[in-house]
Amino acid sequence: MPPTAGLGLKSQHYAEALAASDAGLWFEVHPENYMAAGGPRLRWLQAIRDKHPLSLHGVGLSLAADADPDPAHLAALKALTDRFEPFVVSEHLAWSTHRGVHQPDLLPFPRTAAALDRVAANIGRTQDALKRTILVENPSLYLPLTGHELDETDFLIALTRRTGCDLLVDVNNVFVSASNLGYTAETYLDALPAEAIGEIHLAGHALDGGADEGGSALLIDTHGAPVAEPVWALYRRLIDRVGPRPTLIERDDAIPAFAVLMAERDRAHGMLTGTRACACPQPLSAAGPRP
Amino acid sequence: MTKTLAAFQDAFAAALTERSAAPIAAWLPEGEADPAGLAVYRNTIAKGCVDALAANFPTVASLVGDDWFRAAAVLFAAEHPPASAALLAYGEAFPDWLAAFPPAADLPYLPAMAWMDRRWTTALFAQEAEPLTAEAFALEPQALAAARPRLHPSLTFAWFDSGLPSLWRAAREPEPGEMELSEPAQGVLIVRPHDTVHSRVLDLAGHAFLTAAADGATLGEAITAAGEADPAADLAALFAALIADGVFSGLDLGDTP
Repeated sequence: MPPTAGLGLKSQHYAEALAASDAGLWFEVHPENYMAAGGPRLRWLQAIRDKHPLSLHGVGLSLAADADPDPAHLAALKALTDRFEPFVVSEHLAWSTHRGVHQPDLLPFPRTAAALDRVAANIGRTQDALKRTILVENPSLYLPLTGHELDETDFLIALTRRTGCDLLVDVNNVFVSASNLGYTAETYLDALPAEAIGEIHLAGHALDGGADEGGSALLIDTHGAPVAEPVWALYRRLIDRVGPRPTLIERDDAIPAFAVLMAERDRAHGMLTGTRACACPQPLSAAGPRP
Repeated sequence: MTKTLAAFQDAFAAALTERSAAPIAAWLPEGEADPAGLAVYRNTIAKGCVDALAANFPTVASLVGDDWFRAAAVLFAAEHPPASAALLAYGEAFPDWLAAFPPAADLPYLPAMAWMDRRWTTALFAQEAEPLTAEAFALEPQALAAARPRLHPSLTFAWFDSGLPSLWRAAREPEPGEMELSEPAQGVLIVRPHDTVHSRVLDLAGHAFLTAAADGATLGEAITAAGEADPAADLAALFAALIADGVFSGLDLGDTP
């Protein structure tokens, strides 16, 4: 898989996605939206997959829950990876399911050594079940939790060493978290080793209008706006350092016309193809089947 | 107290439901008793649940309006949070919950609308099966009567004491007109033979036929049941219509006498 730019696939854009023939175009979906026995949604995905590379980007595996991954969820994910043969499978450094309740969000936790053991074990179980390595994405953070024993970058790097997983770097999440928790996005990104980065996400955010709170000054990772210019600048800086990586434009709310999203995708694509050749030998070696 | 990962997650879940940061105070810095970030997580979770319910219950949402629906959906989600990340299946309990929801008391049709929305969504994501066409039924009369039909995995049908199915179907039109609940008792059939979910009003004979077939009856027994339910029914037309609906996915031929 060459490091080109892709687009989050939305159901309202199925026909245009199927018809698109832009060089290097790939699509990404949340597998949870396709965990069904049958139906037109799966047929659309099959038709689009027959024409374009596909990435499965999970939002519900709950890797950071203090429990094993749900066997039913893993089995459904395995069925989708078997059927659609995605070039990459990714999940988040977050939890969402706890004691049988699923919270549709990516929730934070104190990054302790014990949590590292648990998340590494859950990634290992996932990779064993899928018979492939996965990418793990940095979450957007909103709470100044105490009790962290590791920085997020150290935690992520430790996961790659212990499990063989790679990283999905969401540059917008870095920007949002850095703003919300008061650290420097550049320092965060510079700490991530180039060889561990398998994919990059770009999305839009918003300043909290604070419906409940009367305005909190927090940035919210809404995926409901174009990618912000400071995030583009961070992306430029990142790919200048690590080389081109498959890069996704994510949009999940206030979804505009396909052409509008494709224009953002083309901007990323142009930056990627204008970037010097990748310094590392096999940027996506970890996305293939495990030995 | 041991600050395990599970202890944090118990506390965080409590902070979400209690709308208070107190349960996670042990993980917050001094002077951060009420961090705004907790509301961000709470709002995102609520939006995820409400958006999923709005997608799965579009008729209910259009009948009651966006504000009413979202207010009700937030309350439902608090009582019945999703059990799975596959939100396309979320809301099984919503129809029954609406039936017991006091503000819906003057909308007595609402639980049935929700039930039919739910069956529509279930049909959309049901297992695939190729529906039988009329050729599959070109058998000797005796063999046809002895054959047992298998119903399509996406099929749902039900009987109502009033014209709720007509009301539901009218409300799903892109531009619903004046809607009145004046029809007599009727049934509904919902099936997805190919890509599109199809629904129609079912009469007494059609409902009796499908009830018998779902119980494992032969075609002969099912047709007899339809004729008993409505002696005036045109049984040949009824059977042809069900084939055209795509409700049959298989035919087990009985032993030839």
